[in-house]
Amino acid sequence: MPPTNLLQGTLDLLILKSLALAELHGLGIAHRIAQITNGTFQVKPGSLFPALHRMEEAGWLASEWGDSENNRRAKYYRLTAAGRRQFQTETRQWETIALAISSALQAS
Amino acid sequence: MSIRTYLLSLRRNLFRREEVEQDLDAELRVYLDQLTDEKIAAGMSEAAARREARIEIGGVEQVKEEVREAKAGRLVGELWQDLRYGMRTLWRNRRFAVAALLALGLGIGATTSMFSVAYGILLRPLPYPDAGRVAVVGLRYYPRDNAFGTLCIRDFLTWRENNHSFEEPSLFQSMRMDVGGGEGAPEQVQGASVTAGFFNTLGVRPLIGRGFGPEEDAPATGSLVVIGEGIWRRRFSANAQVLGQSILVNGAPATVIGVMPAGFEFPRRETEVWTNLVLNPPTRYGPWFYRGVARLKPGVTFEQAQAETNNIGQRMMELNALYKRLSLPVLSLRDAMLGTTIKPAILVLAGAVGFVLLIAVVNVANLMLARAAVREREMALRLGLGAGRRRLVRQLLTESVLLALIGGALGLVLAWSGVEVIRAWNPGNLPFIESVRLDGGALCFTILVSTLTGILFGLAPALASARSDLNAVLKDGGRGASAGRARGGMRAALVISEVAISLMLLVGAGLLFRSFVKLNRADGGFSAPPRQVLTMLISPGNRKYGDAKAGAAFYEEVLRRVRGLPGVEMAAVTDSLPPDRQGDADTFVLEGQPLGPGELNPIVSAVTVGPDYFRALGIPVLRGRSFTRHDNPGSPPVAIVSEAFVQRFMANQDPIGKRLQQSGPGFGDNWMQIVGVVGNVKYLGLRVDADPAYYVPFLQSYGPRIFLVVRSSGDAETLSDAVRKEILSIDPGVTLAFISTMEQSLRQSMSQPRFDTLLLALFAGIALLLASVGIYGLIAYAVTQRTHEIGVRMALGASRADILRSIFRQGLTLAAGGIAAGLAGAFALTRLLQTMLFGVAPTDRLTFAVAPLTLLAVVLLASLLPALRATRVSPVAALRYE
Repeated sequence: MPPTNLLQGTLDLLILKSLALAELHGLGIAHRIAQITNGTFQVKPGSLFPALHRMEEAGWLASEWGDSENNRRAKYYRLTAAGRRQFQTETRQWETIALAISSALQAS
Repeated sequence: MSIRTYLLSLRRNLFRREEVEQDLDAELRVYLDQLTDEKIAAGMSEAAARREARIEIGGVEQVKEEVREAKAGRLVGELWQDLRYGMRTLWRNRRFAVAALLALGLGIGATTSMFSVAYGILLRPLPYPDAGRVAVVGLRYYPRDNAFGTLCIRDFLTWRENNHSFEEPSLFQSMRMDVGGGEGAPEQVQGASVTAGFFNTLGVRPLIGRGFGPEEDAPATGSLVVIGEGIWRRRFSANAQVLGQSILVNGAPATVIGVMPAGFEFPRRETEVWTNLVLNPPTRYGPWFYRGVARLKPGVTFEQAQAETNNIGQRMMELNALYKRLSLPVLSLRDAMLGTTIKPAILVLAGAVGFVLLIAVVNVANLMLARAAVREREMALRLGLGAGRRRLVRQLLTESVLLALIGGALGLVLAWSGVEVIRAWNPGNLPFIESVRLDGGALCFTILVSTLTGILFGLAPALASARSDLNAVLKDGGRGASAGRARGGMRAALVISEVAISLMLLVGAGLLFRSFVKLNRADGGFSAPPRQVLTMLISPGNRKYGDAKAGAAFYEEVLRRVRGLPGVEMAAVTDSLPPDRQGDADTFVLEGQPLGPGELNPIVSAVTVGPDYFRALGIPVLRGRSFTRHDNPGSPPVAIVSEAFVQRFMANQDPIGKRLQQSGPGFGDNWMQIVGVVGNVKYLGLRVDADPAYYVPFLQSYGPRIFLVVRSSGDAETLSDAVRKEILSIDPGVTLAFISTMEQSLRQSMSQPRFDTLLLALFAGIALLLASVGIYGLIAYAVTQRTHEIGVRMALGASRADILRSIFRQGLTLAAGGIAAGLAGAFALTRLLQTMLFGVAPTDRLTFAVAPLTLLAVVLLASLLPALRATRVSPVAALRYE
């Protein structure tokens, strides 16, 4: 199955999800999203970085430079308290929408 | 997102941009490295891994740009960036910037200041409530047909009885008044005699006290006076106690009942005293010294009022057989106060300045087009490198607006000083000039027009060409592309229209200038050197001089003492003075002249003069004799007529010995024998042909208020103090006004033509300057474009002269087109100048020949620099230029 285009707004949710367990750098986030969606979503830097910077400015993410696994300095992102709240809100919203859409599709 | 975090990000993004950028750069570099590492680990060679990683990222710069777009304060940041870039671009293209700013500044400055003047004089609401509904009414009939008409009391009563369109009409008359009382010596001021409803009609409340009550124009009302704020402060220390006080007006006591605020300037700007006009039932028609003023009833229009007033005019003609071709013009307050000459002049000047704005706008358009051509490549390149089209538009817009703002600021300064200059130049007869100030609306309008033009002509072509075909533009190098050729044609058309408009302005200015020169040399009818003539209006201010006998003795003494002063050669009295102080004008009857029943001779100047008047001013006595001191009440009545009078009314007759009668009311059966003929003198202004005149001797036609004429051996101005002291020593109650030399009077009478000429010449000069900048720009651009071609031609043996000729030919072609169009336009438009011209036809050949030549010279001069540059092109360099 070819990689699907990300739904508007879905990227934010996936980034929040991928950072929920641990802090990651940019490439790490891209890999994590590919992993948790079973390769359905391949996030390109052209979408990823603008989203990261926007979310950081929104106060949901915080970043700092740290050492990466192979001794490169990389910029790590993590969720802030506001980011966790946002994650919960968006999860709830997503569940409502997903439920609504699938029941709509099953309707006869 | 909370405001606080937003502001923090904004601050970081704006003020620590370097840091933010470095951070972003590092972040992406690491990303690339990490990706490469992974691919190496997966077994790729390093070079292949790096290449794959790059492709996967899809352009580091594009990613950066997208991140920047997502960031807070993006717009502000980019605006700042664009501004700095714009500033740098302008600075790098200083010549372009100076030319554009000059055009914008001059255009905005000239237009705004002239429009401010036009608005202040022609449109700004007058300081009276609902002033647009106040009308001034006069009566014109043959022969008494001065432009706005006058009324006599009987006409006024007829009008008032039959009127339904206006609220209570009132009547007024302007006159000089002597005011005594309060502090200081008596003085002569402008006054008006007005009926009861006058102040109510204008709707202005007195500062203190009251205006005239409803019955205070009835017969047997006492003398009442309302004074202006100025005289109240000057003579009465602004003391409220003045109310109820008795002061002297024309030597008679009058009770002060009110003070009008300083802004109340009706019927004249300088009017300072209003007395109650008592409407005694008239026994006959005349004198026609008055005019009516009234406010329209609610719901009645000017047209309806005029229609009703026309009917009243019909009735007046039925009542009085003397009224022929009668009309009653109903004028707006503003028109009545402006007079006949100012409005057309202001309109012409405003129209001219509109042309200047047009040229400025065309120039900006032209410069922008030229720039667009140069930037075509830049735009294409930037689009090719991934710049967003919207981003480019925004940047071009920023540049245009930046240019407009600087130009606007320049224009603001120019407009502000322009208004100051015009106010300072004020020819003296411009009413409402003090209400002229920089008009924000006009300024915004001109800035907007110029900016929009700049944007339209700069933005559209630059983007259109960049959009069309990037490859073509980049390959073509911005030269010879079809878009470029079309643009060249458009630029040529713009320059041609600039030349045409400048030519029209130049012709207009030329005509006014020629007319001004002629006016300056115009003959007022007297040969005395203007510097050696001193004149002043004497008013005895004491009622005892109302009596001819006492008055004659007083003036006898004045003349005797003044003649005794050192430096005085001659002195005389007169009630009229050249160039424009007509005293009285009246119709007349010549003995034996065949006149149909009810027919009247036209109204001509009727001048009262004392002995020596003709000699003092150097007016030639052509036949017969001048008046002497023996022409007094005891001797037979005599008169002198002017040459024009003889030509017009007594052709083929010997006038000497014939008899003449002044036939206005009150002159009775008073036949005067003509004893002399004198040269024509202008009493109605230099631009009006001398009207026929008849003269009567002072002692036989005494009036207490009269001009003194002093002819001196040297500079007359130095005499004025001595003369004044001498007169006041005879009677300190005497008031003097209009003290000036003939030179000053002439200059004053020339002030409006001078004003009109200077302004139009200034506008034409600006237009010429802008047009020459436009032509220079176009030719210089063409030379740059043709460098290669010129190089080839020179390499093939063309001489410098050939090159020069070819460049000049281009300039001349443009000039020829513009001149042809401009001449046609000028022929059509100069007719509008007709009323402003003196002794010059609107199609004056000299002007129509010299103006195009001037323009041609300017065009050649403007082409000279680029042409010379073209001849210095080195063939080798030009070919390598490719």
